[in-house]
Amino acid sequence: MTNYIIRRLLYLIPVLLGVSFLIFLLFNVVAGDPTAVLLGKNATARQMEELREQLGLNKPLFMQYLDVVKSAFTFDFGRSWATKQEITYMLKQGAYPSLTLTIPAFVISTVLSLFISLFVAYYRGKGIDLFIRFLCIAGMSVSALAYILGFQWLFAYKLGWFEISGFEYGFPEFLPYIALPAIIWIILSLGPDVRFFRTVILDEIYQDYVRTARAKGLGEMTILLKHVLRNAMIPIITYTVIQIPFLILGALLLENFFGIPGIGGMTLNALNNSDFPVIKAMAILSSVVYIIFSLVSDILYTIADPRVKLK
Amino acid sequence: MKENSLWKDAFIRLTKDKWALASLIIVVVYSLVAILSACGFIAADWAQEVGASNLAPNAEHIFGTDIFGRSVFQKVVRGTQVAMSVGLATSLIAIPIGVVLGAVGGYFGGWVDDFITWLYTTFSSIPNIMLLISITMILGKGLFAVYVALGATSWVTLCRLIRGEVMKHKEREYVQAASAIGGGHTRKLFKHILPNVTHIVIINTSLQFQVAIKSEVILSYLGLGVQGEPSWGTMIDDAKLELARGVWWQLAGATLAMFIIVLAFNILGDALRDSLDPKLKGK
Amino acid sequence: MTAPLLSVRNLTVEFHTSEGVTRAVNNISFDIPHGKTIGIVGESGSGKSVTSLAVMGLLQKPAAKILSGEILFNGEDLLTYDENQMRKLRGNQISMIFQEPMTSLNPVFKVGEQISEALRIHKNMNPKEAWDKAVDLLTQVGIPNPAASAHKYPHEMSGGQKQRVMIAMAISCEPKLLIADEPTTALDVTIQKQVLELMHDLQQKYKMSMMFITHDLGVIADIADDVVVMYRSNVVEKNTAKHIFQTATHPYTKGLIACRPNLGNNPRRLLTVSDFMTEAGEEIKLDAGKVEVFDKESVPEKSSEILLEVRNLVTQFPIKGGLFGRTVDHHKAVNDVSFTLKKGQTLGLVGESGCGKTTLGRSILRLIEPAAGEIIYKGKDIIKAGSEEMRQLRKQMQIIFQDPYSSLNPRMTVTEILTEPLIIHGVGANRAERVERAKWLVEKVGLKVNQMNRYPHEFSGGQRQRICIARALMLNPEFVICDESVSALDVSVQAQVLNLLLDLQEEFGLTYIFISHDLGVVNFISDHVGVMNAGRIVEMDRASEIYKNPREEYTRTLLSAIPKGKAGLVL
Repeated sequence: MTNYIIRRLLYLIPVLLGVSFLIFLLFNVVAGDPTAVLLGKNATARQMEELREQLGLNKPLFMQYLDVVKSAFTFDFGRSWATKQEITYMLKQGAYPSLTLTIPAFVISTVLSLFISLFVAYYRGKGIDLFIRFLCIAGMSVSALAYILGFQWLFAYKLGWFEISGFEYGFPEFLPYIALPAIIWIILSLGPDVRFFRTVILDEIYQDYVRTARAKGLGEMTILLKHVLRNAMIPIITYTVIQIPFLILGALLLENFFGIPGIGGMTLNALNNSDFPVIKAMAILSSVVYIIFSLVSDILYTIADPRVKLK
Repeated sequence: MKENSLWKDAFIRLTKDKWALASLIIVVVYSLVAILSACGFIAADWAQEVGASNLAPNAEHIFGTDIFGRSVFQKVVRGTQVAMSVGLATSLIAIPIGVVLGAVGGYFGGWVDDFITWLYTTFSSIPNIMLLISITMILGKGLFAVYVALGATSWVTLCRLIRGEVMKHKEREYVQAASAIGGGHTRKLFKHILPNVTHIVIINTSLQFQVAIKSEVILSYLGLGVQGEPSWGTMIDDAKLELARGVWWQLAGATLAMFIIVLAFNILGDALRDSLDPKLKGK
Repeated sequence: MTAPLLSVRNLTVEFHTSEGVTRAVNNISFDIPHGKTIGIVGESGSGKSVTSLAVMGLLQKPAAKILSGEILFNGEDLLTYDENQMRKLRGNQISMIFQEPMTSLNPVFKVGEQISEALRIHKNMNPKEAWDKAVDLLTQVGIPNPAASAHKYPHEMSGGQKQRVMIAMAISCEPKLLIADEPTTALDVTIQKQVLELMHDLQQKYKMSMMFITHDLGVIADIADDVVVMYRSNVVEKNTAKHIFQTATHPYTKGLIACRPNLGNNPRRLLTVSDFMTEAGEEIKLDAGKVEVFDKESVPEKSSEILLEVRNLVTQFPIKGGLFGRTVDHHKAVNDVSFTLKKGQTLGLVGESGCGKTTLGRSILRLIEPAAGEIIYKGKDIIKAGSEEMRQLRKQMQIIFQDPYSSLNPRMTVTEILTEPLIIHGVGANRAERVERAKWLVEKVGLKVNQMNRYPHEFSGGQRQRICIARALMLNPEFVICDESVSALDVSVQAQVLNLLLDLQEEFGLTYIFISHDLGVVNFISDHVGVMNAGRIVEMDRASEIYKNPREEYTRTLLSAIPKGKAGLVL
């Protein structure tokens, strides 16, 4: 087990080198000279040269790659080109609003999906099961943008139940601001979650050990909630944990639309301003978190499933 | 006497499912619309003013008109062309990369497999949306950038699935039997294993197609996608400002057009999974 | 005469699926008296498992429909019970053991927990009492160190132990009726013997009635008082075990008994069910000429030419460990094996699961690369052969696998499967010539030429194995390895395939290595037999010698574990 964790942590190194290389390739090799964009049309050649020097773009490519690698291991991403702030500071600022939105939405949608999928699994093959399955697919087929625009227009603008946009710090002040985006997040997650959970649960229901449990005289409900769920939790935990990194990335579109000053909104702003360091930082940071959580999900897997012993 | 291959069986099973059949027809109709539009037979003059500004849907203009008096319906048709082309281009990039890398890694194992595993772990470590945004931004906005970005992100899933499936089939006795009669690597991989994993490509493409369409809409909405031409994404972007003035038909038109094709691909993907049941029949 | 515990009367069950309607059980009746064991014997698809599930009320509705009949348990018709009443009965008065001990236990709960579950719901025990009782039950079923074992998860136990846990679970509430559906089929023969003895002892101890379902007549003879024979959804014969084996009346029963290879006699060819009845079920008078017993030792050695010699063969698999998953040790699946095989003869390799017999077979063909030793085929060490040389050698050496389902590519037609070896080796001038040879062999193995454009899934298991045999023979090999090639088949089909293998051997002068776990089958087909255990051949001799005068303790254990039937039933 310890060996496994150490090995997986060591595997972080080649993957991070790969991620850094990809980012470096995109932003330092393929991308054109950013100084023209940053300084505007009237910049002189000397100004551009100075800026290049300042941003470290005059260094040989290999050194530039090393800079990217360094930032991946030290989390020191430098300053934003647009706001001139330390990127780590910006991230800390954005984390609070982002997480107040994503964590509750994530928890509620996961729990709700689990309940719904247990419900449809109990009534598998019946009308209600078919109906909810169709609802899931239909719900997934509507563009996220349509939900956002439609709901904002109807519930915030027309009906005035929620704030249209903005954010306030502190509980419960933020509630009117995050409620609607959270609801949209939940609706967007329900479709895929219920579909996945239902498939996993039904896979288990047709296993031999369920027949044994029936032969023992257990009721359908006990079998579902004890025997089946305990087994289905193994893939469900993995699926859920691996989504956590995306909570940290924030909800790009939701934050942007609802004017929430979170990390997601920050990323989109950086995009509009060609603010390379911020985008690079986000890409690197999210992959580090992703790799760590895939390790966490593997470890949880072994705890949930006594058969798996990681070596 | 019936002599049915698994493919034929699967197709018959698929067409027996009314939902799947309807979805298949929708996909064909959308493809035709896209082809006709691309060849300039329909919606070629979408940029023409056909009526007053912001007309609500009526008998003449079933989806109404936009702020410049252009037909929203024509724009939706034009957007269909963009959406379908994105789905197709994504598949054309993702399938060769995913299948070749997945098959080679799964079949040969060893350091080749280690390298391929590292490659897709690296790609899947960066959240898709970040990678999409970064690539389109760097390549300088536009349809070509969207193709490349979606192609570069969508091979990963296919590669992982194919790799796993090839590893499984490699151990099956029919492949061992092919070794026993003297079959080489090429024969085992192309003649025996790949035909038995093709269903994965089909199912995955059906699902990947709609993901590509959804992604294009978001990228276009962010201003990274198609430029100077209507797309469902840019129409929704327009709607953002129009909605407060009660102009809802651009949003409705684009959303409805997208809903139908994405739903069709979703249902088709599920039906394909059921009918191309990877379990060996008869067992 | 008292009323029986269970009485099934005129039961008919159908399955309604999208593929159509099949009648799984057709108007069957039988009784299970108090304290007796009824064996239900039949081949796959005969309806025996469906019958047991119907008694348990566990048929998958709505696909399964009970059209008519009664299932009287203590005089009450279980078919009139609702789900709640049935639930109180299941695991309490009627309990069941299933075939697959590997998958029948819930992998994420401790076995103690799984046994105590039934006690808690049916006997209202508290968790502590139930756990103590579970430990007691584990003692009764002979699990070593029961108190600690109750804390184990199923995957920490062997197959035999898991089946003992299943038994402990089934008898926990002291049921009146125990249904066992092929409880020993997945187990090795030595373990099977122990489990059967355990079940018999427990049945005596608790005075249970038992409904024992199996395809294996040997097991039936060992354990059953009365036997019900099922064939194609019908009960064709029921009688006491003694009468069934000595004076069977139905031709199917006769065929079933006759087609089973056993150690008592040495027929030249096995009789099959088709020697006793037609496809339509009409009885045929047995052709006496077919019952030809011979003494193998009286047959002179067919040839003295040595075809294959294996010397000190070792095949090993790495055991990974340590921080970077380096190879820290090797598991020697085949450990220092040597033997010689003469042309035209059959060497039987017999052993229990995991003994290395399959690895040995594949190593000889270099489908798995051996680590050391020599494989001398026609005087040449093939381990040293280069890849092109090996490819040429494959024309002469072939293999037939165990699982007829997975050994044929599901996406190729029979014609494609059969002509492929010819294409690979450039045999035959054109397609027509290759197809011609395929047709010729298809008829040789007893299939029809007009079936050749079909795909494997359109054939039955026995037919598929015939396709595999034809494929192996396409290149006209001299040497064929049969790796458990008849193990997945029903016993009547098995007899047909064994006869076919013998006919082909005679016609083409083939040399076989026949790998199997079934001592009866190996005895029937082999000239020499090697007994394998833990990667080694522990004993090797002429087949008759091995069975008559086993020298090694392990061989003796194996032989004594074969079910022979109680009360002197000769099988």
